[in-house]
Amino acid sequence: MQRKCKRDINELKNIVKMTESVFQEMGLPAGLRNVVDLATEELFVNMVTYNTETNEDILIEMVPHAVGLEVRLTDYDVERFDPTEVVPVDVDAPLEERTPGGLGLYLVMKMVDSIHYEYRNRQSKITFIVDRK
Amino acid sequence: MFEILLAEDGSIVMEGRLDAAQAVKAQAFLDNVAGRCVLDLGKLEYISSAGLGVLLKTHKRLMGTGNGIKLTNVGHHIHDIFRYSGFDKLFEIVPAGH
Repeated sequence: MQRKCKRDINELKNIVKMTESVFQEMGLPAGLRNVVDLATEELFVNMVTYNTETNEDILIEMVPHAVGLEVRLTDYDVERFDPTEVVPVDVDAPLEERTPGGLGLYLVMKMVDSIHYEYRNRQSKITFIVDRK
Repeated sequence: MFEILLAEDGSIVMEGRLDAAQAVKAQAFLDNVAGRCVLDLGKLEYISSAGLGVLLKTHKRLMGTGNGIKLTNVGHHIHDIFRYSGFDKLFEIVPAGH
C-alpha cells in the first residue's frame, strides 16, 4: 500500500488510517502498531519540518517483509539528510539540561529493528523494518 | 482524536493520540496550568516526541515554581516511551493499576 502525502502535519490522521488498513490486511499484531505509528510520524514530520525547499508530496509505502513490515518514506527534490547519523540525545541528562527537541529520531533508532538511508538524484529515501516478533 | 480536559478531582485528563498535529492544543491547555499538576494518562493511546516536548516544557516551567507534573495511570506502551526518553528519571510516574 502506498500514499502520497502533502507536506502538512495534518496528514498524520490519514497516515494512521493507512497503517490501520495495512495491519488489518496483513494480520500484523496490534502490539506493533505504536512502533510503526511513532517511527512513521517522526520521520514524516522531520521531512516536513526540515526539507522546506520543495513542495513535492512525500511518498509513504508499507509492504510485507519476511520478518514483519517494511515502511519506506521518500522525499523528492531535497538535500541529503541522513537521520541515522544524528547525534543521540543524552537521555540521562538532568532536567535543566533537557530540551524538547531531538527525541523523535532518537526514539526511531531505538524502537525499529533496522533502518536504512539512501540518497540519489535528490531523492531522500528512508526504509525501516519492524519485526513481528 | 485527542482531548485534554480538567477532571472533577482537579487532575488533567488526556485522551486519544497526542501526535505532532495535536501538540499545539495540549500546549495551549497546559500553558494555563499553575501549581502542582497531576496528569491522568489512563486513556492516552499514543504519544510521539511532539507530545513529549509538551510535557517536558510544562514540567520545566512548573518545576521552576517548586511544583511539576505527576504522570498517573501510565500504560505499558506510553511507559516504554517514557523509559526510552529518560522521562522516568525526570517525572514522578505512577503506572496503570497502582
